[in-house]
Amino acid sequence: MGGTMGDENTVLTPAEARHLLRRTGFGAPADEVQRLLTKYGTRGRAADFLLGFKLASFRPGGRDLDDRQKSWLVYMLKTKSPLQEKLVLFWHDHFATNNTTVGNSKRMANQNGLLRQHCKGNFKTFVNAINLDAAMMVFLDTVRNQKFQPNENYPRELLELFTLGVLDSNGSPNYAQEDIVQIARAFSGWRVDDRDQPFLNEGQHDYSEDYPERGPKVIFQTYGGFGSAGRSFAGAGEGEPEIAAVIDVLFDHRDSDGKKTIARRVARRLLEYFAHGAFSVPSPATTAVVDDVVAESGFDQTWELRPLLRAIFTSDAFFETSSPAPDGPSTIRSVKWPVDYAVTAMRTLGIKPSGKDGRIDGGSRRRLIEHLVNMGQEVFEPPSVFGWDWENSWLTSRTFLARATFARDLTVARGNGGTHFRPERLVDLTLTDPAAIVDEVAGLLGVADRIGPEEHDVFVDYLTNEGTRSSLDLQDEEIRESKLAGLFALILQSPAFQLH
Amino acid sequence: MGITRRQFLGRSGAAAGGFLGASLFGSPFAARALAESLGDRYLVVLFLDGGNDGLNTIIPAENGSIGSFRTHYEAARVSGGGGLRVAANQLLTPSTVSMIDPGTGGQLGFHPGLQGLRNLYEQGHVAVVQNCGYPNANLSHEESRRIWEYADPRRTGVTSGWIGRHLAANFGPAEIPGVAVRGSVPGEFAQTATSILTISSVSSARFPFDSSYGSDSPFRRNALMALAEAALASGQPTLGQVGAAGRSTLLASQSYPPLDDLYEDERPSFDAMYDGLGTSTAHDLREIAKVIYGVESGVENIEARYFELQSGGYDTHSDQGLPQPGNRHYDLHRQIGDAIETFYADCTDMGVADKVCLVVWSEFSRRILQNDSGTDHGTQGPMFVVGAVNGGVYGNHPDIDGDALDDGNTRYSQETGNPHRSTDIRDVYGTILKHWVNVPHQTILSSILPRDAGDPADFWTQENFDIGFL
Repeated sequence: MGGTMGDENTVLTPAEARHLLRRTGFGAPADEVQRLLTKYGTRGRAADFLLGFKLASFRPGGRDLDDRQKSWLVYMLKTKSPLQEKLVLFWHDHFATNNTTVGNSKRMANQNGLLRQHCKGNFKTFVNAINLDAAMMVFLDTVRNQKFQPNENYPRELLELFTLGVLDSNGSPNYAQEDIVQIARAFSGWRVDDRDQPFLNEGQHDYSEDYPERGPKVIFQTYGGFGSAGRSFAGAGEGEPEIAAVIDVLFDHRDSDGKKTIARRVARRLLEYFAHGAFSVPSPATTAVVDDVVAESGFDQTWELRPLLRAIFTSDAFFETSSPAPDGPSTIRSVKWPVDYAVTAMRTLGIKPSGKDGRIDGGSRRRLIEHLVNMGQEVFEPPSVFGWDWENSWLTSRTFLARATFARDLTVARGNGGTHFRPERLVDLTLTDPAAIVDEVAGLLGVADRIGPEEHDVFVDYLTNEGTRSSLDLQDEEIRESKLAGLFALILQSPAFQLH
Repeated sequence: MGITRRQFLGRSGAAAGGFLGASLFGSPFAARALAESLGDRYLVVLFLDGGNDGLNTIIPAENGSIGSFRTHYEAARVSGGGGLRVAANQLLTPSTVSMIDPGTGGQLGFHPGLQGLRNLYEQGHVAVVQNCGYPNANLSHEESRRIWEYADPRRTGVTSGWIGRHLAANFGPAEIPGVAVRGSVPGEFAQTATSILTISSVSSARFPFDSSYGSDSPFRRNALMALAEAALASGQPTLGQVGAAGRSTLLASQSYPPLDDLYEDERPSFDAMYDGLGTSTAHDLREIAKVIYGVESGVENIEARYFELQSGGYDTHSDQGLPQPGNRHYDLHRQIGDAIETFYADCTDMGVADKVCLVVWSEFSRRILQNDSGTDHGTQGPMFVVGAVNGGVYGNHPDIDGDALDDGNTRYSQETGNPHRSTDIRDVYGTILKHWVNVPHQTILSSILPRDAGDPADFWTQENFDIGFL
């Protein structure tokens, strides 16, 4: 995987520019591709431009979960900083919290604002903020953690999912059960007040002197590179300093190669998200890329996410998935997340959700969020603390049908409003040659470079009713509604469009 | 002396990747080469997501001939505010058949929410398999679920399920041997050789064409099928997977939706019974019943005999609740017990009760000692096998004496003669594969469930595919 062929000074090709936009945003509109190529030109300058967005203070608004889900989705449809939302989606999956358990959509919205605030900032600061986030404290039972029997739910996921991971790149464990038991003591007694602010209920906190039989507040006596003495987190005092001390120790944790465990894991996860799924499997090749981007960005020293993201967006590994079709056994592809799929399609076609409840105005007339539920990604409702399963797990019979239904509904939303599909605004209606029409629509949908000759023939066959006619009159409304809209639906439903 | 989880963590790095090479699972046999099959039978798997509290599922009613089960239970599960103790007189103990722990002779009972299962148990249709687990328990939901699904306790990099490895060796890409009533392919069925249909209901398998231009639908269908075939032929793994999902979906979109009307028209009283229960587990089991009815009715292109569904909510760190309606664990138990009882009645009426085997599992049990109102993650727990089984209690209850626990959890042990000897999940799977699916013993060992290496008291080194429940 990846040599050291390219770097930040490498000039982007059109295919690479499209890939960069698809991965860091919602689709690759032709004008934005052109801007990247002419105004920025190189990987480094394009990455700086994309990462340069001003942080928005947006938090999804409304009275209930439905409102707030729609609010965030509409924001994604409109935003001029799509990378910001791509990052918030990533962190929503990483620090997965769901409203079903939290039961308070305002807290979910506040957490969403927190994810946005830290999305490209300092990861250590980010983790400290999540520790005492009201939604998270309810979700993983920190508010139920008391001194008599410290609750292990949050400490376990803090180690397993939010920071270290169960195993390192060599398959060696990163922590022991005893570490979770001790860390649970640091989080005991933390509660949320009426204004959603965290506070320490001292009567429920496990003070070291109260429970000498539980031993000293020491962790990582077996793993983490601290030697058999481990590391104490009690010295700074109990309460908030104690939690910060735990986090300090975690960020000092080293894996069996002596590397900073959290740096490698966060880099690997971001590579998996932005580059491709092969990074989920530790191997010498993937680990080498992980180490490269960590070293180049200094992430293991500073914990700053923005330089890490820049190192990823300028790496050869990131551009491995950018090759045009036709695909072969060695081509690397990744499955679009449902939110990416839906938002990209709507932004590209210029379709807004309709009415107060945010419906798609055709076919089943489902709400946008219902379509996403069926596709397997309801925002604010990841199925568990593990977040969503990525890559091939996104595409099963059920979710394939859900994507097909969404594509059908979008393309039969007939009418003249902003919530309707109006191909006459997008397509040159004087075109009559089926092959030219396929090129035009594939280009509009940003997948011209992802359709091989074989797929191209299939679309032409479709337009010609399998060879029974040789040209189409797009001025004819019935032809537009049946065949042209049908072509849009087919491309949105095609295997190639599900990937990027 | 048994190995503790901490000791295991200390040495698993060296052990990982050594014994079970991926190659053991990577070379599926030619389709049907071994002629092993379910025949005219069905296998249904129900996953309880989150970690079902086994100690409050099958509960000691008394101390038993050797040991002090009830005493230990009452020490671990307190009464009063947040207490999870189920009083002995609240337990559902079968009146007409025995329910005795084989290891100690102690009387057992079902949690009060499991009325449906108790009723089936009394009729001899439930095998309770106690103390199921694997060496060196992992307390992560994700890790432990994968271990159960893949039957790979050492996490050697296997990515296929214990049923999936059997399916891959016996079915081709155009066949749909399995249906999962959920959003994603379940880990037990994971493999890439054949198609698993994943749907929320049979009616939802319909393909969405544009109803205003019905005459265009055949052209769209043909185009979509051609695109799926091209994706499969590309050799690109991800694209190929999308192509496989697309093709099986298109095929199923024609054959599966009519099963809905067929069932509703011909089995209205059972249809209404599931509705009366009103739970997701009842609805999901009804979808499986619709497919079984389709197979039994000879509907063209309906051939699935392997099914999976899940029931969530078992991660009861807090508010696990009292053993009465409106409380979490009770309602969860009630949901599965009642739904299974109705499903069994449905199968009986269809004439297939003796052809159905339903397996219930969860990724782990929970801590023996409760916290303030719930239980943290634990180790071995009971499984249920319902249907054409020799009803009764199999496997020994784990030792819940406080002094015998490891970090508050029961220990896994394969020590022969131990009255608390654990039941390895591979023995349960192996029994099902051998006696229900008809997979030859040696095939199971060589390509589905390879044995561990190591101390026979600590690891699964001696297969026991004849537990007796089938």
